[in-house]
Amino acid sequence: MKGIMTPRHVALWIAFAAIMLLLPQVVSNGTLRIIIFANFLAIFAMSWDFLSGKTGYVSFGHPFLIGIGAYTTAILSYRFHMPIEYSIPIAVLTTIAGGTFFFLPALRIKGTYFALVTLAFMELIYQLTQVIRPDLTGGTRGISGVKTLLVGAVPNYYFSFLLMLGIALVLWVLARTRLGTALDAIAMNEEAVSGSGLSTTKLKLFAFMVSAAVAGIGGAFYVHYLGSIAPRALFDIDFVFTIIVSALIGGASTIVGPMLGAFFMTFLLEYLRPLLPGSERYLIYGLVALVLYVYQPKGIYAIIADLRDGMRSKNANNSKNSGKVGDGKAA
Amino acid sequence: MQSMKKLVAVAALALSAGLVSAGWSHAADTIKVGFIGSFASDAGRSTMRGAQIAIDELNAAGGVLGGKQIEMVKADTHEDVTEGIKAYEYLAETEGVDFIISGCIDDVSLGWLPRMTEYKIPTLDTWTSNIGIIDKLVEDYDTYKMYFMNVATDEALATLYVDFGKDILAKKMGWKKTIILQEDTAFGNAINGLVTQLLAPEAGIEVLDTIVYDTATVDFSPIFSRAVDSGADFIYLIASVNSQVVSSQYVKLQVPLAMTGVNVSALGQEYWDDTGGAGGGISTLSPVPSVGFVADPESQKFVDKYIAEYGNERPKYPHFNGFNAYWGIKQAFAAAEEAGGFGLDKWVPAMENQDLKLMKDGKLWLRYAFWKPGEVEERTQRTYPHNIRFDITPPYDDGAPSMVVIQWYENGDAKVVYPPKYATGEFEVPSWVKK
Repeated sequence: MKGIMTPRHVALWIAFAAIMLLLPQVVSNGTLRIIIFANFLAIFAMSWDFLSGKTGYVSFGHPFLIGIGAYTTAILSYRFHMPIEYSIPIAVLTTIAGGTFFFLPALRIKGTYFALVTLAFMELIYQLTQVIRPDLTGGTRGISGVKTLLVGAVPNYYFSFLLMLGIALVLWVLARTRLGTALDAIAMNEEAVSGSGLSTTKLKLFAFMVSAAVAGIGGAFYVHYLGSIAPRALFDIDFVFTIIVSALIGGASTIVGPMLGAFFMTFLLEYLRPLLPGSERYLIYGLVALVLYVYQPKGIYAIIADLRDGMRSKNANNSKNSGKVGDGKAA
Repeated sequence: MQSMKKLVAVAALALSAGLVSAGWSHAADTIKVGFIGSFASDAGRSTMRGAQIAIDELNAAGGVLGGKQIEMVKADTHEDVTEGIKAYEYLAETEGVDFIISGCIDDVSLGWLPRMTEYKIPTLDTWTSNIGIIDKLVEDYDTYKMYFMNVATDEALATLYVDFGKDILAKKMGWKKTIILQEDTAFGNAINGLVTQLLAPEAGIEVLDTIVYDTATVDFSPIFSRAVDSGADFIYLIASVNSQVVSSQYVKLQVPLAMTGVNVSALGQEYWDDTGGAGGGISTLSPVPSVGFVADPESQKFVDKYIAEYGNERPKYPHFNGFNAYWGIKQAFAAAEEAGGFGLDKWVPAMENQDLKLMKDGKLWLRYAFWKPGEVEERTQRTYPHNIRFDITPPYDDGAPSMVVIQWYENGDAKVVYPPKYATGEFEVPSWVKK
């Protein structure tokens, strides 16, 4: 861990957690409900980021993985009355297995072709949930009345935040290891990584499995938060775009960035609701996202880093100047 | 330049942050009604407008519950399940509404149902007819008792539709064989099951084949050729997505075979324009009150107000759920007056006892009442707690029929052709089809 997490990092994570844990004392339940959705979106965006942001294998079919986790636990717990403590781990394992299918195309194709194949995966599962065994999946209408883990905004807020925080920490640490660096290198030049003696297949498999596990955990807990599931809610191009835009607006390949992006996008949309209850808010939402992205393609994370660096250099200049003035005075 | 860029970015962030507290102030002495549904769809708008007209009338009459004014707050679902859940949470947590009226489609209502049981807000659905929701009340009344649905469930719709098959398709038209033309959706599968397993056997009609088509199909000529070659007496169409496309091609190609069935786009007054005037001869099942349905005097007053207010915007004429929203709001507040508010213990029994009989020419025409828990419907021998009190047995003198069959004629008129009590026209085959 030494070198991966410095005392400053520890302090920042603790400060972030402390602020978030105190939030229910100062904000309304309505705001907490919004944050709960932001927490889940952050989990999905981080899952996408660990696969696509890190390795450059852009997935347009991430809901395929999220959906496997969500549907598995929903079916097991609702149709077969399996306790959640069993259905959720099984759902996560099933999603990891599903991640293997997702990984297979990456052995042969990349770039746009890979993205299109993953999109096909999503379309495939969308059709399957409606046609194959609708008595289990509920067909187009899905399943309503899935057992919820907790009741009320505050308990769900704490739970979703701690889940998101745990996942963020694990992924953030992983991303800062040599393994994470190697994944970044795949995005830059896969042949060079291969030429250096590293197995890109194993590295990619690792990224896919981790991403699938996170998507499975997120999807499984998400459905037990919502209490219902329907194919149109998950296997939808809007959902894919929300995940990807959150990651890109926040800052791809940074893990923290997608978290910031998810919060930003969720809050922006929900806070526009009272002012613009109809579709107009999506226009503002798109415009703000566009302005941010044009200004800094590396996302909010880079904007914050720029501001921090700017302040640091300003402070350094001030110290230098005050030192010079002092010297002058002394002279 | 750099500072300008930063300014733009900070402005973008500030715009979003600055909206945090905006729009959340509201008058203290009001009753809040939440509307949940799609702002863009004809169905969603019908419910929203029907509810708004009822609220305006109640406010103009001096308010409710001791003179309080009613305020309607709206939450758009975009016909998306997750957006529906967020919309319900918004109405409940941020707006603190007292009552919710819904114009949601099936899966969106099913999506927010767990939130309704959590917040325990009285909720009236005006569009979805999903029997699965009523089944939840049958299984667990206490958990779901705040839910009411004032459109007949799909099972009740189906039962009366079988009568149409027997009386008109088999007996009057003498048709014995059909070919099903079904869109590739779960809705299509469900209705196909109903036709092949219930309607056809009961009416003595043989289903020769089923042609399943993709909802993105733009050229139906090979499909219609196959249907004509099958030797069927008529085509049974099942279409909900872009169904004006298949209808207008049927007319333009002058397919020499009669066609009836379920055609969702034909339920609205805009159907004729949507098909470019090529929609004649098409018939479909419709909940009541439908296009072509003669309104009773009280409902006609609502229609007149609706047209005066919204006659220039789509939908120009309320869909069935617009009527349901109008009368539903009136009944919800009548129940609240009796119960002293929307507290479930008193409001739910008061709502269960609401009974609005709308008469026409001395006969019961429409009825807005609800099946009570445990009350058994005579024909199906099952219970429908909190579903509208429909009547599926002629002469329909205990409630409104669960559905009617409407037909669009070649001159652009739409008329009810079944059941006879409500019929304003005869079921016809198009002029280009040999009788």
